[in-house]
Amino acid sequence: MSGTPRFLLDVRDVSKSVQGPEGRLDILDGVSLQVATGESFAIVGASGSGKTTLLGLLAGLDTPSAGSIRLDGHALENMDEEARADLRRQLVGFVFQSFHLLPALSAEENVMLPLELEGDRLARTRAREALASVGLEARRRHYPAQLSGGEQQRVAIARAFVHGPRVLFADEPTGNLDQRTGHHIIDLLFALNRDHHTTLVLVTHDAQLAERCVRRVELEEGRLRAHSGEADA
Amino acid sequence: MNLLRLSLRTLRREWRLPELRTLAGSLVLAVAALGVVATLSTRVERGVLASAAELIGGDIGVSSPQRLPDDLATRATHDGLKVNRSASFPSVAFAHGRSQLLDVLATDTAYPLRGTLELRDAHGHTQTGHGPAAGNVYLDHRALVALQLQVGDMLQLGGRELHIAAELVRQPDGGQLIALAPRAVMSLTDAEQAGLLGIGSRARHRLLLAGAPAAVHDWRDWAQSTTLPQGAQLITPEQTRQRMRSAFDRASAFLRLTALLSALLAGVAIALAAQQYARRKTSEVALLRALGTPRRRVFGLLIGTLLALAVPALIVGVALALGLAQAAWLFASTLFAGVPTVLPWGPALAAAGIGLAVLAGFALPPLARLAEVSPVAVFRDSVTRRVRRFDGLYLVPVLVALALIWSQSGSARLAGILAISLSGVAVAAALLAWGLLWLARRVAPGAHPALRLGLAALARRRGLSVIQATALGMGLTALLVLAIIAPSMLDGWRSELPSNTPNWFVLNLQTNQRDDFSKALARLGADQLNMLPLAVGKLVAIDGHPIDGLHFNDPRAKDWSDRQLRLSWAGTLPPANRVIAGHWFTPHPAQAEVSVDTMWRDMFALKLGDTLSFDVGEGRLDARVTSFRQVDWSSFRVNFFLLLDPAHASALPHTWLASFHLPRGHATQVATLSRAYPNLSLVDVDDLLDRIHQIVDRVSGAVRWVLAFSLLAGALVLAAALSASAAERRHEAALLRTLGARRGQLRIAAACEFALLGLIAGLTATAGAAGAGWWLGRQVFHIEHYVPPLGSLALSALIAAVVVMLLGLAGTRKVTRTSPMRLLREG
Ligand SMILES: Nc1ncnc2c1ncn2[C@@H]1O[C@H](COP(=O)(O)OP(=O)(O)O)[C@@H](O)[C@H]1O
Ligand SMILES: [Mg+2]
Repeated sequence: MSGTPRFLLDVRDVSKSVQGPEGRLDILDGVSLQVATGESFAIVGASGSGKTTLLGLLAGLDTPSAGSIRLDGHALENMDEEARADLRRQLVGFVFQSFHLLPALSAEENVMLPLELEGDRLARTRAREALASVGLEARRRHYPAQLSGGEQQRVAIARAFVHGPRVLFADEPTGNLDQRTGHHIIDLLFALNRDHHTTLVLVTHDAQLAERCVRRVELEEGRLRAHSGEADA
Repeated sequence: MNLLRLSLRTLRREWRLPELRTLAGSLVLAVAALGVVATLSTRVERGVLASAAELIGGDIGVSSPQRLPDDLATRATHDGLKVNRSASFPSVAFAHGRSQLLDVLATDTAYPLRGTLELRDAHGHTQTGHGPAAGNVYLDHRALVALQLQVGDMLQLGGRELHIAAELVRQPDGGQLIALAPRAVMSLTDAEQAGLLGIGSRARHRLLLAGAPAAVHDWRDWAQSTTLPQGAQLITPEQTRQRMRSAFDRASAFLRLTALLSALLAGVAIALAAQQYARRKTSEVALLRALGTPRRRVFGLLIGTLLALAVPALIVGVALALGLAQAAWLFASTLFAGVPTVLPWGPALAAAGIGLAVLAGFALPPLARLAEVSPVAVFRDSVTRRVRRFDGLYLVPVLVALALIWSQSGSARLAGILAISLSGVAVAAALLAWGLLWLARRVAPGAHPALRLGLAALARRRGLSVIQATALGMGLTALLVLAIIAPSMLDGWRSELPSNTPNWFVLNLQTNQRDDFSKALARLGADQLNMLPLAVGKLVAIDGHPIDGLHFNDPRAKDWSDRQLRLSWAGTLPPANRVIAGHWFTPHPAQAEVSVDTMWRDMFALKLGDTLSFDVGEGRLDARVTSFRQVDWSSFRVNFFLLLDPAHASALPHTWLASFHLPRGHATQVATLSRAYPNLSLVDVDDLLDRIHQIVDRVSGAVRWVLAFSLLAGALVLAAALSASAAERRHEAALLRTLGARRGQLRIAAACEFALLGLIAGLTATAGAAGAGWWLGRQVFHIEHYVPPLGSLALSALIAAVVVMLLGLAGTRKVTRTSPMRLLREG
């Protein structure tokens, strides 16, 4: 690959099927989409429509059964687990519905994790800065169990941003939060997206939330139903 | 009943949870280990007792200076026991104008009931036999040599002409301490008819019994409750010989120790697994509570589930224990040829009971806490798990452990030592782990990224790491004590019987014979000659109060005060003696002084400064108690309860007691020597030593078998403890994978983490085992100059680190393969 690719994510005709107890199950079928660098992109759809599966494929956590996915120009389907892990470490940040903070680690230590994986010597300082940017510097020594859901998610966001990823994947980041807190979280995500020029891929079943993204796709039983927003942009 | 059904259903659902499997596995293992050890111990104990029985020639008996009442034998026959009557006495034998004092055993033909009587016929063939028929006699080699006789010749004994039917090679000797003279075995009928056993004879009558353990036990209880004739004593395998007895005590102490540590290891694993289970169940319990299930019912359900799991585990454990014990016995039984080989069920069932107690004690605290989870936890998962300072429930496992230690060790002192050293190890492990973790945190920033990640992960999981390091440290201490300390103590114990141990004793040596006798011995090639003065006297008063008027709580005191005492004196403290109170004799004390053994001190409740009065010959000696001595009676030296100061005692009428070492095969020369000094009694200890060596070999062989099994059990429990903590790493690994960690990174991190954990545990365990070993060797097993093998201990700390690392890696293999998709799917 030479130069910066036009699309940070370029998905062509991706299908995913798994072998279930009652034979083959097609979860995704012929999905194609592109996400430009710095864009905010929403994947919406009913529960069970395949959003999480698609997100996992986009982030290189899993490989498609057919089709191709290019993340920053790298063809994920041709890479092995380890190479994809390297790519994730450098390019990707995650925010999950249920936060996934390690309960044994303090807020600061949780945020340090991605930096530590890269062997960053300034991990602690940078983690502290990241926590400050989500307004939780004072809580850095607290453990997840001592934080509210919204605070935990803010810690998770700090962790997702701390190593300066090019793309941030969020799977129902407000799913476990009340509406007000959810809005705060989304505001925070978009603010960081703007400030760091990070691409944001957001999975949600909340249409209102999806509206705030520049572009949206809707999944229905594993197929893309309609592209929207592209025209608006 | 509803609860039971619900519990069973829960179990069916949860059976696949790793921690429940670990819990069941630990329980199986604990019961199996305890059961194997206890079953084998029981058999080994029976083996050791049976060996003692072989030495005595029966399972139990009575000896008495008078004829024994008939009801003793009648009762025994009635109980289904076999009976052997005999009497022993010194008597002079004549042949071809020569005479020799013999130590004669007159017995019926039932002799021996246990063990073997080995005889050599005129053709030199050795075979086993029984007490001689009337008119026959067996003589040992020394007697034959002394009288210049051969098998087949006639000899005169007790006024009767007897036919020498065989040479006596080896005989069970009725628990008699030492045969003073050459030996002969004759028929009891002959002896009675010759009037050798009548009133005024010096015969000691003996009744030996053998049969089923229960019947022996019944008879023993009965005999202890009846009044035996004056001066009569029970002969039991336990009290047979000082040496024999201490061998047995040590063996059973080792065995108990082994079983105990296995049980505690299992407890550690069970505690870890239960903790894990409780953690996993928190949200479910919170849900149940939120849905309105009463706390008691939740607790009942948890207990029910645990019991439903425990019962089959206990059954499997017992079956495994019995199977393994049987298999081990098949290999080890050669050590105890001739010992009854019934597989005892009791110990394995008792092990199941202990297993249940361990389960209850160690699994209860987390489960009880679990039942208390507030319904609010539904809303904020895990909020109740943390932030809890002290919980009285954690005393339960401690109490269970203490109860176990106490019940298994049987001795309060051993229990105390074990409890203190184990908790010492626990505290030390916790502190050391804490310190090393702190250090790791400081070191982490400069290290290689993967290494740093591992160190950091370990350092951050402080609480858990400290608990794990502590548990591993305890487990390893147990393993080290079993694997290194115990065998090295066995070696120390065996090396106490050096090859040049004095093997001959000489009694009745007169002062004017000393020089000549020494020279004669030197010509024979004897060495290690040691002579001690020996006076015989009676204790007549303490602090001026006549002994007959004094009362002592200890019943032995009366017995000793009736007896002739052996008194000796020495200017320097003899080896294997230690002054524990007061001071050793000064060169020329103004008043006679005496140094007293601790058993005597306790028996007569003596204090420093008390005055003991002895009648010796015509004279009387008043000696002040100036020191108390701890004597190692298991050393093969001649020791005395009472030692006098030489300045005052050397004037007492005395003879000399000599001991020396003479290589084997000098029986003829010794017989010559014995004729040259007819007044001397020469005692051959070689035979005795042989048998003791044999018994020590048997015991240590059997103990090694038991050790091998509990070692295996310990290692398995250790692995179980590791795997119990592995589950919670999965989530972490999935997260790290998602964040882009390479598999290699995770593996190196895990390797660092476990290696450090192993090293911490290994170092603390080394210190703990060395300390416990040193203490045990000194205080319990009385092995002088025992130094724990520090080199092997340190090496094993390193090995422990590597093994824990490998176990950890094996346990986290699956973890590093966890698909990162898991995390997305989990929420
Ligand atoms: N590994 C799998 N095996 C079987 N079915 C799966 C697997 N992964 C996902 N599915 C199924 O695929 C469908 C889509 O799942 P998911 O991507 O989680 O949907 P969403 O996130 O939109 O709710 C669901 O019906 C789910 O049950
Ligand atoms: Mg989903």
